[in-house]
Amino acid sequence: MVAAGVLAAALLVGCGSSSSSSSSGGGSASNASSNKSPVVIGTSLSLSGDFSADGQAFQKGYQLWASDVNKAGGLLGHPVKLDVVSDASSPAQVVTNYQKLISSDHAKLVFGPFSTLLTVPASKVVNRYGYAFVEGAGGAPAAFGNGLHNIFDVSLPVIDNLVPFAKWVASLPASERPKTAAYATSDDPFTQPQIPLAQNIMSAAGIKTVYSKVFPAEVTDYAPIATAVASSKADAVVLGSVDVPTVSAFVHAFIQQHYSPKVFIATAGPDQGAAFLKAAGGAKNAEGIMYPNGWYPGYANAQSQKLVSEYVAKYGGTPADVNADVAEAYSVGQAIAQAVAATHSLDNPKIISYLHSGVTLNSVQGPVKFNAQGENGQAAAFVFQWQKGNQVQVLPVGASGSKPPLIPKPNWGS
Amino acid sequence: MRLRPPARALLVATAVAILGVFPLIFSSPTSTSIAVFTLIFMVAACAWNMFAGSSGYIALGHAVYFGCGAYTLTLLANHLGFAAGWGVFALVPVAGIVAGLIAVPTGLIALRARRHTFVVITIAFMFIFQLAAFNLGFTGGSSGLQPPTPLWSVDTYNLNFYYVTAVVLLATFVLTWLVRRSRFGLQLLSIRDDEERARGLGVRVARVKLSAFVLSAIPVGMVGGIYAYFLGQIFPQFAFDPLFDLSIALMAFIGGLGTLVGPLLGALVLESLQQYFTVQYGSSQAYLIIYGALFLVVVLLLPRGVIPSLEELISRARAEPPEQGPEEPGRTADTIEAVR
Amino acid sequence: MSASSLAKAVVDGILTGGVYALMAAGLTLIFGVMDIINIAQGALIVLGAYMSYVLSVHLGIDLFVGLIITIPAFFVLGVAIEWAFMRRLREQDRTAMSILVTYAVAIIIEGLLSVIFGVDYLQLRASYVDSTFHILGFYLPYIYVFGFLLAIGLLGVLYWILYRTHFGRGVRGSLQNRTAAELIGVNVNRVRAVSVGIGVAVTAAGGMVFGATNAFNPSSGYDLISRLLSIVILAGLGSIAGALVAALFMVTLEDVVAVVWSPVWATLVYYASLIVVLSFRPGGLFGSAAVRAQ
Repeated sequence: MVAAGVLAAALLVGCGSSSSSSSSGGGSASNASSNKSPVVIGTSLSLSGDFSADGQAFQKGYQLWASDVNKAGGLLGHPVKLDVVSDASSPAQVVTNYQKLISSDHAKLVFGPFSTLLTVPASKVVNRYGYAFVEGAGGAPAAFGNGLHNIFDVSLPVIDNLVPFAKWVASLPASERPKTAAYATSDDPFTQPQIPLAQNIMSAAGIKTVYSKVFPAEVTDYAPIATAVASSKADAVVLGSVDVPTVSAFVHAFIQQHYSPKVFIATAGPDQGAAFLKAAGGAKNAEGIMYPNGWYPGYANAQSQKLVSEYVAKYGGTPADVNADVAEAYSVGQAIAQAVAATHSLDNPKIISYLHSGVTLNSVQGPVKFNAQGENGQAAAFVFQWQKGNQVQVLPVGASGSKPPLIPKPNWGS
Repeated sequence: MRLRPPARALLVATAVAILGVFPLIFSSPTSTSIAVFTLIFMVAACAWNMFAGSSGYIALGHAVYFGCGAYTLTLLANHLGFAAGWGVFALVPVAGIVAGLIAVPTGLIALRARRHTFVVITIAFMFIFQLAAFNLGFTGGSSGLQPPTPLWSVDTYNLNFYYVTAVVLLATFVLTWLVRRSRFGLQLLSIRDDEERARGLGVRVARVKLSAFVLSAIPVGMVGGIYAYFLGQIFPQFAFDPLFDLSIALMAFIGGLGTLVGPLLGALVLESLQQYFTVQYGSSQAYLIIYGALFLVVVLLLPRGVIPSLEELISRARAEPPEQGPEEPGRTADTIEAVR
Repeated sequence: MSASSLAKAVVDGILTGGVYALMAAGLTLIFGVMDIINIAQGALIVLGAYMSYVLSVHLGIDLFVGLIITIPAFFVLGVAIEWAFMRRLREQDRTAMSILVTYAVAIIIEGLLSVIFGVDYLQLRASYVDSTFHILGFYLPYIYVFGFLLAIGLLGVLYWILYRTHFGRGVRGSLQNRTAAELIGVNVNRVRAVSVGIGVAVTAAGGMVFGATNAFNPSSGYDLISRLLSIVILAGLGSIAGALVAALFMVTLEDVVAVVWSPVWATLVYYASLIVVLSFRPGGLFGSAAVRAQ
């Protein structure tokens, strides 16, 4: 009987893997593509679980790209069909998913998942198949330098995120420059590596560290940490956050403690547009808060503007609602499309060599050029600031599109 | 289930044969990938059940041993300079032994308590280890660690892991079977029925509990090591994962707590279903609702688990009195008395 | 690190501890009376937060006023859960079964919330969420103070119900010995249903305060449940006063360690001290106070 049970379950598993996948695709039928067979592009996204908000934004980005590519005739004339499977934000699932996409669903190409946590195991699987692994959201140091040649991150390497900000603060005239700084970061491979770099630059410029602590990623009560930061009365706060709740908890705790730093930057959260505004309690509270990023809805780039208007047309809302994840995903598609066009093939090894050849591609996030590890050092490295309810590019000072940064940060609610 | 030895032997042989040829028949990497994870959970659920199912102590902290096994294998492989390949598998038993060693002090502390307090202490240990993994330098902190990556081809990668895990599974199953047949196993069951009475009858309760606990940690540590090597990356929150604890408890329970084969069936069905479910339907948000509802229906309709419920059905069909099993309170204590 | 930082940490701990006590109160009642480990408690708190969200955002009802609706609604929910699921659990294996059944309920709640509300983080807003009392140089946020007072109030009500009413006697009786309780005429089924109802009703309030002080989404329940379980066990099953003391103690300890040493080790100290205390008093701090012996 046990054997029968085992057999039954085994058949279920065996059958399951060969049935057709659920493709929520952006491959709309288009006039421009010929009757060539569709090219399946597979990706695993976190549509539920911890990373679901970002996973869903990524899906929209990939879908927009697929529909744009198909309107323009597809890849080498083949219409693109997106094959999206969900990994529920689980590394074990992502490993199975990419094997399914490639071997069962016969995807010709793959796009990356969301987050370094999932990118690392996925890249190893994909490497076994010799596929190129272009992704937009796995930028922590752990993702690179594993001896894998197939991984390409179109977005800025995470570790350098805060450098433009730190350099700017260090270069301020003495009357404006903060005297003291507090550094607090979540225990996360994305944020933690960024802080020491910023801290070194700022302390070298004479900015005294009055608070420097790491807090567990799973904390639900930020009040004690935020209160401690507030007690330090630091002029500048550098917050290593991964999401909106973390930043908003700090914002509210600061407001409650009647503490308003002159400079406040958070590594992630304020980039989430309207969601951040709502959580922080409106534009008045968000005023002056800075964050690093490669992209934002107002980015002065023709392709980017087109993406934003397409997004709004398809999903509603305003340009401010367009999440940076959407642009990251779209850039992944763009990189692949340019590699395919340049090599006139859908062959992964050719694509990999092309991407490693030092060529500079373009994307909605700016230039894309990969180094030997697959990092895009050319990616736009901006710092943005919330000003009057808008996300404004402020750094690098003097770069095209940069407006003057607001310093000191106005008091809360004023 | 009481079968005559020849029938039983035939059943076991068939199961082993299926285990052996499964990946050769269903050879798509998707199937074999799901199969490797399923086997890992089968080992873990089986080992967990050996302790929890027999003693009645519901431990929700075995992720500690899983994670310790994962980190042990990775740290040793990296620091001792193991080349990626078959050699690293030699570290799997080491991972298991380290996990067993860690189970000694943690078990000693946890087992001083009973029932609910025990459960919470095991959960607390799980979080302590997870947090330590996040914060201690040598564990790589939040960025985790990566063991060497074997350069096997697509066709053989999953197969190699499958067979190694299958061997571990067989060994674990044999271990649980031996324990169940032994006096030690009977003593465990008597503790489940009535701990005070068992103590009164002379059972060395503390020693028995701890031994079972440590024994159960070893296979879990071994598959923790296999998991780390298979995935190629460990992060603290996945190596020490509270959902892992809940899953193996559920698997053992659905199959039949305290039965030999139950956890295997539970793991087989749940893990493969869960991955399959996520792949096919994960895109829809209703996946969680369906999963939970399915769960609930099974748990409520088959409250003793699949195996015991099936046995009951069969016994009723045969109009025999049901076999005396672990559900009968008090009898095992008498049995021990008789056996002594 | 100064004396004032330390004092602030203690104050923060006390206020937050009150919120946790409120969240744990329902759990300890269910735990003690039903002998059930309710993993769904975290999910129920999140559900309470969402209900308050709907009332506040879509109907414009104030967070505290909205409790007039959510608390009775949750009472009904609790009774329904007891009747539908918990009643069917056999005496034996109750611990294991309760874990699994309530885990399934938690997943379903999470799934329903994801489908209805999506996965974006929300936070409950009221005009006074950022306002504070200024006392002795400390800024005490209104919401924490009100939440703390609400917690004390509800815990007091619970205590009164358990120890001063006829019904409460029935509850405590069936805690100790179900058969004996039945023999003297206690309708055990009804007592249990109402107890779970009350336990879940209190959770509605806990959910509201949680949602006002933390950003949450459907998956937020998992982080909470391990802490709540620790508090309840530390307190001693079924002990309401114990839940308050344990919550205050544990949260304050963690906040102080976060300031004095480091936040990452604070959580570890939290769990380690739990183990230390339980090793010496396995029944919990208040384990001897009219609760069932293990």
